[in-house]
Amino acid sequence: MKILTRIAGSRLAALSLIVGGGIYTLVIPVFAGTLGANPLEALLHRSGEIAIWTLGAVLSLTPLRVLFPGAQIVAALNRHRRAIGVSACVYGLLHVTAHVLYEGGWDGLLRSLSKPFIWYGLAGLSILVALTATSNQFSIRKLGGRNWKGLHRLAYIAAALLIYHQAIAGKGHWHITRWLLFPLAALQAARIAKTLLAKPARVPATNQSPKRVARKTITSGFSADTSMTAMKNTQQEII
Amino acid sequence: MERINAKVKCIRRPWHLPDSALTPEAHCYRRREFLRVFGFGVAASAILPVTSRAASAGFPDTLNPGYKLEGIKLTPEDLVTSYNNFYEWGTGKGEPKEQANRSWKTAPRTLEISGLCANPRKIDIDQLVSLVGGIERRNYRHRCVEAWSMVIPWDGFPLAKLIDLAQTKSEANYVKFVSFFDPTNCPAQRTNELLWPYTEALTLAEASNELAFLATGLYGKSLRNQNGAPIRLVVPWKYGFKSAKSLVKIEFVAEQPKTTWSEMAPGEYGFYANVNPNVDHPRWSQKSERVIGGGFFSGKQPTMIFNGYEKQVAHLYAGMDLRKNF
Repeated sequence: MKILTRIAGSRLAALSLIVGGGIYTLVIPVFAGTLGANPLEALLHRSGEIAIWTLGAVLSLTPLRVLFPGAQIVAALNRHRRAIGVSACVYGLLHVTAHVLYEGGWDGLLRSLSKPFIWYGLAGLSILVALTATSNQFSIRKLGGRNWKGLHRLAYIAAALLIYHQAIAGKGHWHITRWLLFPLAALQAARIAKTLLAKPARVPATNQSPKRVARKTITSGFSADTSMTAMKNTQQEII
Repeated sequence: MERINAKVKCIRRPWHLPDSALTPEAHCYRRREFLRVFGFGVAASAILPVTSRAASAGFPDTLNPGYKLEGIKLTPEDLVTSYNNFYEWGTGKGEPKEQANRSWKTAPRTLEISGLCANPRKIDIDQLVSLVGGIERRNYRHRCVEAWSMVIPWDGFPLAKLIDLAQTKSEANYVKFVSFFDPTNCPAQRTNELLWPYTEALTLAEASNELAFLATGLYGKSLRNQNGAPIRLVVPWKYGFKSAKSLVKIEFVAEQPKTTWSEMAPGEYGFYANVNPNVDHPRWSQKSERVIGGGFFSGKQPTMIFNGYEKQVAHLYAGMDLRKNF
């Protein structure tokens, strides 16, 4: 278990999985010619699926942390929030690139922009781009904890837009949506329930210094990287 | 220096051959074709009678010169047989080739002809082929509703010949096509992913059109499982999903039947489903199509009204609002 936690917390392991996954499913098949009869369509679908799953992964981290504050492996995974969040955005941008190539020209591209289906995706991705651009310590300092957190809560709106985009892409098939949306919704519901139920016990917590509250709040956003502190705070809160 | 170079040039390696000894490129490829047709043919004839239940009557057939599609490149056979929408065997394009060739022995070789006709019967497909006077080859454009296209050499016979054989009654207005239902060997049919069995329909006038075709093969060979063995519908002026695969029943009915995709998503897939660049799918434009077999940067080609078969079929829809009846 300890070694598992170690691996889960390893930056190298996380990066190899995130980048290696892309190389294995997108880059190698291009050069090996194993994308099938419609290679651009394969790239389009694969990049989109990786992007939506990566987004799902990063959004499950906060609920997991709230639900299992003592689990070391959850804390270890939370170290990678920023890396996972940013890569969801990068895979999303690859997905758009594949779409541009698939349409194969300005005419097709402009026509595709007349579809609400495309706009759900673009709107969701625009949010991710904004969050990626502000996923650094400088932006947190510049915006201030409260504002930064508010901004990064847009991740949930992005997720709603993108999951909807994914769902209607499936020709009436809910394979991915089913496996992505329901667990994610369940996790969030459990997290909210836990927070609400914990409220009465938090009466003494009003004495917390505002600074500490701010520090804690930052960590529950899209890609804050101070999860260890957050874990300590949460534990203190529960004690 | 000059002399040394000259000498190097003159050295003849043991493997050197004059250009005249090279086999022309075209023949190299023909060699593979020869091996495929004769080599595999011989091997297959030893195995096939036991395992395959594809229709085999009438091969080899000849190209009907009226359906040559002069100057248009056929989609390579390996792409036609590896890139398929056949949801019974998975939603991925590569899955049907993999999944449909495991335990499934294709639809039964018999086709049921029933409903409002004077000659209802259950008939062996090979027998049916000889009854309609054999099969012919037709090169047809194939346009999927997902905005990709192929050109496929089908082997089969006009649906009109089967209609003649059946002798429809005057109350018959529609022809219903029912695909196989075999949940034992087809796991997807144990779920409610789609309304099984896959059902499609045409008006009797559409079905009697010269273009409506029942295919028992492609590229001169019996249909592969993933392409809808042993017999399937081909209606080239309509989106691909209308061309139901692996048929077990053709029924003549009075009322417009419920068809699978128009029941699943009526806003996206209509009953007529005629190829029409002017009527978009809600999620994408139908103005252009990606030709299967092109490279990464090949772009798309414009889609034609009725998939280029306007002359043959436009009269069927005279006065009809194609935007409403998409």
